Amino acid sequence: MNKLNIASVSQGKIQVDLLDNSEGLTVKFVGDIDMEDPSVILDPFFEKVHQGMVAHKIPFVVADFHGLTFLNSSGIKAVAKWIMKLAMLPPDQKYVIRIAHNKAITWQVTSLPTLTFLVPGAVKIE
Amino acid sequence: MAKPDGYIEIRFGPRWKYISPARVFIQNFIAIALSDQAKADAIAMATSELLENAVKYGASEDTHCIVQAYPDTGVIQASVTNQATEKSAGEVRALYDKIMAGDPLEAYITQMREAATRTDGKSQLGLVRIRYETGADIQLDITPTHKVTITIIVK
Repeated sequence: MNKLNIASVSQGKIQVDLLDNSEGLTVKFVGDIDMEDPSVILDPFFEKVHQGMVAHKIPFVVADFHGLTFLNSSGIKAVAKWIMKLAMLPPDQKYVIRIAHNKAITWQVTSLPTLTFLVPGAVKIE
Repeated sequence: MAKPDGYIEIRFGPRWKYISPARVFIQNFIAIALSDQAKADAIAMATSELLENAVKYGASEDTHCIVQAYPDTGVIQASVTNQATEKSAGEVRALYDKIMAGDPLEAYITQMREAATRTDGKSQLGLVRIRYETGADIQLDITPTHKVTITIIVK
């Protein structure tokens, strides 16, 4: 279990884990997000991560998409919803989401950089 | 446009479980037809988004997808047709008019921000995503009986 004690979630072809890393935390996506309503599992998971990041004053979290082979627009909506939570935080509670992506997967190259425009300074692409 | 070198047509009852295999099939078809993996990935994503909309908002069993490849020019044309209700056809028209206006990236970002605050379960990101990420020419045709066809042309 990770330092926030947040359990992994999975449904169909997707598994999402929260892992400790040397500097903070990593949200690791493996599989496909192509179900009709991914918000059912992603929204509560992201909310827990968000609350934990703020409560423990963790400065960054890596969103690791290397193992995610497909993300539909409903999944993009769920990720965008998480990112938009950062817009509501006071400066002393803000953290940064670092997106790690796989340049060999076409949609990751075209989709993921657009997330950096949602909330200035909240998301960085690695 | 010249006669296509590759052509596939898929018809299925609107069930979510058929979208993923259709996407993979289309991806493989285009990769073989054009020897262009990036374009195959982009078209597969786009048709998957269109099929998701057709399944979510379709009012009958018949969803119809045609993909045509023109290897000489590298052009791909894909269309998805489904029967809609008058209300959902009107919503598609309104969304199309909205997302086709202005810069593709700005429209995408605006739509993502709006999606994040929606509480009706919809994302309404599929078309704007296709427009920005594939650079496709997107055409919308709605018949008087509310049959909706969305065609994308990627060069």
